[in-house]
Amino acid sequence: MTLDGVVRKAFEEALDPRDVISDPVRCRAYECDGLTGYRVTPDLVLLPRDAAQVAAAVRVCAEHGVPFVARGAGTGLSGGALPVADGVVISLARLKRVLEVDPVDRRAVVEPGVTNLEITAAAAPHGLYYAPDPSSQQVCTIGGNVAENSGGAHCLKYGFTTNHVLSCEVVLPDGSLVTLGSDSGEQAGPDLRGVFLGSEGTLGITTKITVRLLRAPESVRTLLADFPSITAAGDVVSDVVAAGIVPAAVEMMDTLAIEAAEQAVHAGYTVGVPAALVVELDGPAAECDVQFEQVKEICERHGCTRLHIAGSAEERAAIWRGRKAAFAAVGRISPDYFVQDGVVPRTRLAEVLGRIAAMGDEAGLRVANVFHAGDGNLHPLVLYSAEAGETERAEHLSGAIAELCVELGGSLSGEHGIGTDKACSMPKMFGEEDLATMRRVRSAFDPGGICNPGKVLPTPRLCGERPGKYRPHALEEAGVIERL
Amino acid sequence: MSTSSSTSARPTDLKAVRDTVLDTAGTIAIAGAGTAAGWAGDLAPVDTVLDTTGLSGVIAHNPGDMTVAVRAGTPLRALQEELSSHGQHVSFDAARVADGATVGGLVATADSGPAALVFGSLRDLVIGVTIVLADGSVARSGGHVIKNVAGYDLAKLLHGSYGALGVLAEVVLRLHPVPRGGTTIALPCPLDGVHEHAARILGGPYEPAALEWMSADGGRLLVRLEGTLDALPAREERIRELLGPQATRADDDAWEQHAALVRGSGRGAVLRVGARPSRLPGLLAGLGCQAATVGLGTGVATVELPVEAVADAHATVHAAGGTSVLRYRPDGAGAPGWGPAPSAVAVLVALKRELDPAGRFGPGRFSPWMEGAQ
Repeated sequence: MTLDGVVRKAFEEALDPRDVISDPVRCRAYECDGLTGYRVTPDLVLLPRDAAQVAAAVRVCAEHGVPFVARGAGTGLSGGALPVADGVVISLARLKRVLEVDPVDRRAVVEPGVTNLEITAAAAPHGLYYAPDPSSQQVCTIGGNVAENSGGAHCLKYGFTTNHVLSCEVVLPDGSLVTLGSDSGEQAGPDLRGVFLGSEGTLGITTKITVRLLRAPESVRTLLADFPSITAAGDVVSDVVAAGIVPAAVEMMDTLAIEAAEQAVHAGYTVGVPAALVVELDGPAAECDVQFEQVKEICERHGCTRLHIAGSAEERAAIWRGRKAAFAAVGRISPDYFVQDGVVPRTRLAEVLGRIAAMGDEAGLRVANVFHAGDGNLHPLVLYSAEAGETERAEHLSGAIAELCVELGGSLSGEHGIGTDKACSMPKMFGEEDLATMRRVRSAFDPGGICNPGKVLPTPRLCGERPGKYRPHALEEAGVIERL
Repeated sequence: MSTSSSTSARPTDLKAVRDTVLDTAGTIAIAGAGTAAGWAGDLAPVDTVLDTTGLSGVIAHNPGDMTVAVRAGTPLRALQEELSSHGQHVSFDAARVADGATVGGLVATADSGPAALVFGSLRDLVIGVTIVLADGSVARSGGHVIKNVAGYDLAKLLHGSYGALGVLAEVVLRLHPVPRGGTTIALPCPLDGVHEHAARILGGPYEPAALEWMSADGGRLLVRLEGTLDALPAREERIRELLGPQATRADDDAWEQHAALVRGSGRGAVLRVGARPSRLPGLLAGLGCQAATVGLGTGVATVELPVEAVADAHATVHAAGGTSVLRYRPDGAGAPGWGPAPSAVAVLVALKRELDPAGRFGPGRFSPWMEGAQ
C-alpha cells in the first residue's frame, strides 16, 4: 500500500467505504485482463455505483495525481486494463443497467457494465439487435467495446463499434462529465465521440452509451466450403468481392485450426482439408437468395471439395460453433499458445500466410490460422511448449508476425488493441511525428497523464520491460470466453 | 472568405503543404473547391489562403481491397468517375459533390447525403488520413486496411473541424460495390404525417438505401431501394403495397430536387439540424422553415429559414437535445454559425491549444466556442 491514508479516505468519502477495496488478496483479482502475461496488483480497487460516483472518484484521482485504470469485464487481449502500480482500478461492473430501448428510433441507452449480448437480448423482443459481435460477447461489456472499438465476425458488412455508437457520456480525466456525440449522425464540430472510441481507456471513462440497433435481417444464409488450398479459398473471397457482393461474414480456417476445432466441438468440419471457408449472407430474402446462388457457383468454380449449406438455425449455429471454438480448441493440440492479431490488405492474404508458414518452419514451431478473410484480419496462433523451453522463440515469432503485417501495408491490430502488449511496436507502424501528434491529443484530454498511463503510446519505461508467458484467463479456462 | 490583403498558396504535394505552413506567418484559411466556404462560423480575415485544389489525384487504388488513397483536394465527383470502371464507389452522396466539392472539404465539413442511412457519413468511410498541423508537423493515422485499431483516429478529429485544427493532405477511403440496380418510390405526404410511414418502412424487412422527406410539391416521401436487378422488382412491389395506391415510381429528377433543396435557394439562411429521428418533424415544425429535407432514419435535416430566425432556431434545436450548424448566410447577414456550446467545449478548446496554439487555422470558424483557446 503506497497510496496514503488521505487519498484512501478521500475515495471512501467519494464512494461508500465498502466499495473501496484495499485488501491485497481481493485487489489481486484485478491484476490482469485477458492478456495474462502482464500482471500488476493495484493499490485500490473502486466499485462505483453510478456515473456521479465515477466522476467523484476521478476527481479525487485528479486532485491527488493518482493514476487510474478503468475496467469492464477484463476480457481484453492487449493488456489495456492492466493496473498501474501506485494507482487505482475503477471497475464499471456495477453500472449495468439497460436504461432505455427505443424500438421507434432503433437505439438503446445502456451503462458501460452491460454486456454486449445483453443489449441484443434487451432489443430482441422488438425484432432488433446490436450488430458488433466480438466473440467474447457473452461476457465482454459495452464500455470495454467502446474503449477498444471492438469488431467481430460480422464487421465486414456492418462495421465496428464506432459505427454503432451515437453518443457517450464520459467522465474526463479532470472528473468533469460531458457528452460526446449526439442523437443523430450530425455533430457540433469535430467528432470527439469518434476520437474517444477506440482510445483504449486513455481519454476518459464512459458512463452511459447510446447505441444504434438494427432490425434483424429477413434472411440469413450460411455455407461451409472446403478447398484444396488456402489460395483457392482466397480466390473465392476475391471473386465474391469482384461480383459486388458484401457478405455479412467471411471466415477462413486452415488445417490445424480445423483439426483443433473439430476435436473440441464436433461441428461437422472436414479434418485434413487445407482450408475451410464460412460465408454468410443476410438481408432481404429476395437479395439474399440471388447472391447466395452466385457464391455457391464461385465456390464450385474454385474446386470446392465439399459444400455444406446450413439448412436450419441449428446447422448454422453448429458452423459458427466450430469457427468460434477454434481458439480455445488449440489448447487440445498444443500445451501453450500465443494469439496474434494483425491485419493485411485482403489481397495479400495468401502471401502473408505463406510467409508465416515459412517463419514457423524456421522457428521450428507450428502456427494455426483462423481469420476474418473478408477484411484481412489474421489471428495466427503460435503453438509452443513452455516446458520444452520454446516460450521465447514463440513470443518472438508472434511479434514478428504482427510486424510483418505492418510491412505488408496492414496494421498491428484489427480488434484486440495496442494496450500494453503492442505499445512498443507502435514505432514500427507510425513515425515520430504521428506519435507526437497522438500524444498531443491525449494531453488535451488528460494533461496530468493519469488516465490509463503507459497504454497505446510507447514510453521508455514500458518498452524496457518483458511480459511473462501466457497463462489462461480464469474465464477462458471455464469455457466462458475465447481468445479472439 | 479572404480579404484582399491575404496571399494565396496552392501546394501540389504533401511536402509543399508543409512548406507553405512553415514558410508563412500568421493566420491561414484552408480552402477547397469553395462549395462550403461560408459554412459554420464566419471566417475572420486571414494572412494566407491555402488552396488545396492542387492536391489532386489518386495515390493508390486497390480494387481487390476496396480501398483508395487520394490527395485531399481531389473532387469526389472526379474520384467516383475514376472508380466507376471498377464497379466501385465511395458510398456517399452529399448534394455538393455534384458542384465539385473536394474529398478533404467534405470530411472537414462533416457533410453527408441520403446514403448516410446505410453507410454513415465520411467519418464511417475514411480509414486513414495524413494531416499537416500549424507547426508543420505531418501526422498520419489509420492506414490502408478497413479493420484497424492501432493508435488514435485522427480522421475523426478532422471530421467536422472546418479547417480549424489541421490541413487534410491525404485521405484513404473504403469503397463499396456500385449496386447493380436502384429505384425510388415517392409518396405525397405532409411533414406531420411522414413519421408513421417511416416507422413502418424502418420497422419492416425492406432495408431502404435512403429514406427522405422533402418539402417540394406539398411534401413527398422518397424511398430508395438498391440491390440486384433480379430482386429489385419484388422489393419495389412490396414497398408500394405497404404505402398504398398513392405511392408511385419517383420522377427521374427526384434526387436532384432533393439536392437543390439541400443547397438552398440563396434567399434564406440554410441550417443543418440533427436530432432523434422521431422528434425531428415536430422540432422542424417550430423553426419557421421555408423549405426542408428530412432524413427519417438518420435524424438529419437541412432547412431554409429567414436569416433573423437562425439564432432562435439554434437555441430551439439545442434545447431539444439536437445539434445545428449554419450552412449558408445570405451576403452581409450576420447570422450565428453555431448555437449554444456543447458540454465538451472545454475539450475542443484544449485540442485547439494543443494542435494550433497560435490560432493560425480557420480563425472564427468556431466562434464563439474556441475564443478561449488563444
